Amino acid sequence: MTINTLAKGGWDREQMACFRKMEKVIVAMQDPDMGMKMRNQRLLITVIPHAMTGVLGELLLWCLTEAVHLSGMLVRYGYIYPLKEPRSLVLRPDESPYRFQTPYFWTSTRWPASELDYAIYLAKKNIRKQGELMEYEKERYSLLHKRINHTWDFVVMQAREQLRASKQRRKADRIVLECQEQAYWLINRPPPGAHNVLDMGLERPNNFSKTVGVFVYDVPSLCICVCMCSFVKYSEQYQNHDPIMQGCLPSNPWISDDTAHWTMSSEIVPTPTRLRVERWSFSFMELLKDIMGMREFMLYLEKEFSAENLCFWQACEDIRHGESSRILEKVEDIYKNFLAPGAARWVNIDSKTMDKTLQGLRHPHRFVMDDAQMHIYFLMKKDSYPRYLKSDLYKNMLAKAIVPQETKKSVFPFMRRQRHSSPSPAQAVIQVTEEDGHAKGAGRAGTNSAAGSHV
Amino acid sequence: MGKDECKTMLDALNKVTACYRHLVIALGSTSDSQNLREELKRTRKKAQELAVANRTKLTSLLKDKSISKDDRAEYERLWVLFSSSMELLEVDMKRSLEIGQDFPLKVPTRHLIQTGMTGSTTTVAARAMSVQNMKYEADSNIDTADLRDLQCEISQVSQMMEEMEMKVQVAPWAVEAKQEAGAELKSNMSVGNSSVGVISICEEEPKEEDGGGNRDAGFASICAVLVFFVIVTVAVVLGYLVINMS
Repeated sequence: MTINTLAKGGWDREQMACFRKMEKVIVAMQDPDMGMKMRNQRLLITVIPHAMTGVLGELLLWCLTEAVHLSGMLVRYGYIYPLKEPRSLVLRPDESPYRFQTPYFWTSTRWPASELDYAIYLAKKNIRKQGELMEYEKERYSLLHKRINHTWDFVVMQAREQLRASKQRRKADRIVLECQEQAYWLINRPPPGAHNVLDMGLERPNNFSKTVGVFVYDVPSLCICVCMCSFVKYSEQYQNHDPIMQGCLPSNPWISDDTAHWTMSSEIVPTPTRLRVERWSFSFMELLKDIMGMREFMLYLEKEFSAENLCFWQACEDIRHGESSRILEKVEDIYKNFLAPGAARWVNIDSKTMDKTLQGLRHPHRFVMDDAQMHIYFLMKKDSYPRYLKSDLYKNMLAKAIVPQETKKSVFPFMRRQRHSSPSPAQAVIQVTEEDGHAKGAGRAGTNSAAGSHV
Repeated sequence: MGKDECKTMLDALNKVTACYRHLVIALGSTSDSQNLREELKRTRKKAQELAVANRTKLTSLLKDKSISKDDRAEYERLWVLFSSSMELLEVDMKRSLEIGQDFPLKVPTRHLIQTGMTGSTTTVAARAMSVQNMKYEADSNIDTADLRDLQCEISQVSQMMEEMEMKVQVAPWAVEAKQEAGAELKSNMSVGNSSVGVISICEEEPKEEDGGGNRDAGFASICAVLVFFVIVTVAVVLGYLVINMS
């Protein structure tokens, strides 16, 4: 039951952004490890837990810790750089000075630093220091000289010109500019052994559908070719069916040693799974690829008295993929059964294709039936297939299909059968959908730990 | 001759690209201002004119089938220089659009990043436009009005680059650069000297201007020593004369 927040005006009231942010902070304070330490309140003989002191106690301490963490991040990611000891980008617990970085040099994955820029920077540094670069910079310089040798003239020219341009400014600004550039390149091309903040490794967020959508909408001036649109549609359609993205029910056999998933999804089962039956509605090819789907479709066609189409298609497939030695006899069978005038299961092909096929039959080969097969395929796809999807047969199948239950976690830890046990993209997706679902509600667990499984 | 003309135009484009990058770095910081936005606009337009001129010249030279192999190799090298310049220019234009949108100037609470750069960029822009002094005549809403023009120009530049790739068949990896590694050190410009002092502030431990004006300090100290000796000599001579007189 949902609480109805519709006002008289008829639109939903939204929580103000600042309240949402404060709610998140309050929830983060409850974290058992990183949250606030509480004390007890004593009222004569009653003791009530979960109290905190304000400015002189736990509240301030927690806020300070968070603030230090935040400032440390700002320095590590290059938004602020230190003025003393500029090579070490850490927040120091003393009075050392820092300065803001200019927006052009902010750390960005949208505008990654290119090899050309780095080469120009190294060339500039080379000129300024008369060849006294650091060891690793010398190595990288020679590596770049080999790699982008074809634009090396440009590198030298541009380095000289940039230095000349910076000479036009006053000395203080020139100093700042050089410090800024140095800090930028320490982040984007860290010296060997230093921590590379841009490398997120295994924790890289895999926000699958969001990235795909953003790509499409963020490029207004380029024309979006049809294949990109269809790729996006395909990804969205199949996302729920992908065992890596969504996890597989009842459990991942590789993790839980329970082969129920494979047994339920094998080729011929008394009752297919729901996902499988849904996939039949995605495209005609999906239906035909699945043996059970094809069987069901055949049953339907028999009711409609157009089963010969599917039989013909199957026979043509058999020729295409079968043994060369038997092609001749198979082709003759097909002609006798499907194409000859007055045949038992005559298929309805247009005259042009029929003529072409009959001519080809004089010198039969593997692909002689291709045109006819394609014609029948499209006939079925346009005509019978949509009707099948609307038919009772399909709807009953869908209703009968089983949705396997996710195995419950048992009491004993070593007997648990988990759906997701290792950090997988599935977790990130679940977290995102849960956050979206609870965005409007009162503060709920928006914690960072995986919401899907509490191992 | 075609080659020299080309080289001059490419040098000009190179200079404008370097100045444009310098100006974009100042966007959003405390040296940002109306004037900077106007400087960006004019530098950009100049860069585009030069780009179009370069492209026409180079395309016509490359299309000429009767040139010798050496000439052709040289033109291909110039072509690679030109396209690298255009790449940098395109990226800088896109970034200036993004940063310009994030930091509008005509808002009641203006939050420009306090980066420590407070000087103006007039001289840089004057260098780009090859004029002595810049005259500023733009309207007060240049920061928003210019952004629309910028978007058009970005798409024009992207289009031009696509056409370039399609129409001119130059394999960039086949071009050999004339300069070898470390060539920039052999230049005869005095860029290195005065800036050596500047580096030490950022690089080494906090000794202000130490390795610093090493050369400057050396020169000054030699002067001082010379003056000292002159004065001592004069004093000795005078003293000798005084003693002699008395």
